[in-house]
Amino acid sequence: MNRSTTAGLVLRILGILVALGIAVFPLYWMLVTALSTNAELFAPRARLFPDLGRLGVFGEALADGKALGWLVNSLTVATGTMVVSIGLGIPLGYALSRFTFRGKALVALVMLFTQMLPEALMVVPLFALFRRFDLLDSLGGLVLANSAFVLPIVGLVLKGAIDGVPRELEEAARIDGARPLAVLLRINLPLIAPSIAATAVISFFHAWNEYVFAVTFIFNPAIQPASVGIANFIGELGTPLQTVMAVALMFTLPAVVFYLFAQKYVVAGMTAGAVKG
Amino acid sequence: MAVQTAPPEASTSRRRKSPLGSRWTPYVFLAPAAVYILLFQGIPLAQQIYLSFTETTLLNPAHSEWVGLENYERIFGDGEFHRTLRTTLVYTVVCVVGSVGVGLALALLLNRSFRGRGVARALITVPWAAPGIAVALIATWMFNAQYGIVNRFLDAVGLGVPGGSILDSQQYALPAILLTTIWQLFPFTSVVLLSALQSVSQDLVEAATMDGAGWWWTFRAVTWQVIKPTVGLLALLMTIWSIRRFELIWLMTKGGPVGSTETIVIDLYSQAFQSQQLGTAAAIGMVGVLISLTVIGASRAVARVAERRLS
Repeated sequence: MNRSTTAGLVLRILGILVALGIAVFPLYWMLVTALSTNAELFAPRARLFPDLGRLGVFGEALADGKALGWLVNSLTVATGTMVVSIGLGIPLGYALSRFTFRGKALVALVMLFTQMLPEALMVVPLFALFRRFDLLDSLGGLVLANSAFVLPIVGLVLKGAIDGVPRELEEAARIDGARPLAVLLRINLPLIAPSIAATAVISFFHAWNEYVFAVTFIFNPAIQPASVGIANFIGELGTPLQTVMAVALMFTLPAVVFYLFAQKYVVAGMTAGAVKG
Repeated sequence: MAVQTAPPEASTSRRRKSPLGSRWTPYVFLAPAAVYILLFQGIPLAQQIYLSFTETTLLNPAHSEWVGLENYERIFGDGEFHRTLRTTLVYTVVCVVGSVGVGLALALLLNRSFRGRGVARALITVPWAAPGIAVALIATWMFNAQYGIVNRFLDAVGLGVPGGSILDSQQYALPAILLTTIWQLFPFTSVVLLSALQSVSQDLVEAATMDGAGWWWTFRAVTWQVIKPTVGLLALLMTIWSIRRFELIWLMTKGGPVGSTETIVIDLYSQAFQSQQLGTAAAIGMVGVLISLTVIGASRAVARVAERRLS
């Protein structure tokens, strides 16, 4: 190896390490903050490494039940959104993948279009709609609003997955007399299970992370999701910073862990959602 | 879960002979999702378009007075809205260039097999997976005027921020938000570009290098040609996402100080829920939607021209 390639290698490793450091640092800093004492937080020199003897702060953060309640509310909304959007997304993806029909181009266009609508724009008319149907201040209302926003992506990812299932498999089943719904359920679903798992991650965490609808539609603190609870901490002085960071970390970790597992499919799905218009 | 929501009655109650089902079959599969999207996106959007031509307040939203184009005339005649448009433009362009640029650089670094590459790839996606709320929270703490790590670091290297707080500074708040946004986006662009780089022919790269071509020439002649469509797609996606991004900016600065970080979506939300002017808010939102539509249309036109030139 000559000198210039060695230098190149060193630069490459250095570049990757710097990028990794930048990527992970803010979450690391959350951990360090959560595990610092007050004195350390406001000392002239900050503590740079986490004090692992203070891990009990996570338990304390959940002890009064408030933050735990938020997380349970988020779990409810996210699970509901996952069920609704996948339940509607599977037949949608199947229709887009396997059939040609009038208006298909329009459907594809609408699905692309919905991805550029800001939630903040739709908050006002949805608020009016929900008030009429008594869906304000209910987790069910949040499930309905979130599902509408994530359904197009779920549908497109599942369409792509069904595109990959050989048609011959379906035709064999159809010759045996199976109806389209039976074909979808028995032939396609088992084969696209990994993509369904990916859409589960996408839709679940779409709702888990969602803030605008949650802060506008929910008034009762008892059914507040974690995104709103944590956002209320920002700029507020009453709660110890360590508790805030501990709750935020517990809110963040599930998303990070699941995205790491589903990363490949999720990325493929998100880009497919944008290409196929 | 699919079993419950798929439409079983309609498709199973009828006998049919064609192996593909009747010509209504696709619509039966499509209907639940279509009705759902119509109900929760289509109708609300239509209402929003209507609202933008009316004067409606949050206090009495049921009463709308038709005012024609007045809302649009007012916002376009208002210097503050021009500033909002400029801020949106700056925010969008820097986000797109920053996230695609950093993502591409990192993808090129990672596009070589080495031990621990899988781990590196996984760790790098952390920012993208982190919820926006948590990101806004930790960013606000890191940029804290007195105790934030950013200011401590800047002080330590002798680059103290004039006036102290970054997020309270008209000059530095937007750059701070941009840094945070790009931090959250670059993992996505880099993972997508990394997978695009897999289809670059290593033989071609080696042949070019053998012929004595430099790195830059090889990149432009071989690699860039392959990843160009992906870069275009990412630029489009980042543009649309930047125009609609809300919570990060809202939670870090609420559009302040003095409107210096106010993008279209922030403006729209504060018009609706602070000034309580639903009509004006809707008009602002429609301007944002039209801008996004124009970007999508333009990018399609460009893609079509590029395709024609190739064939």
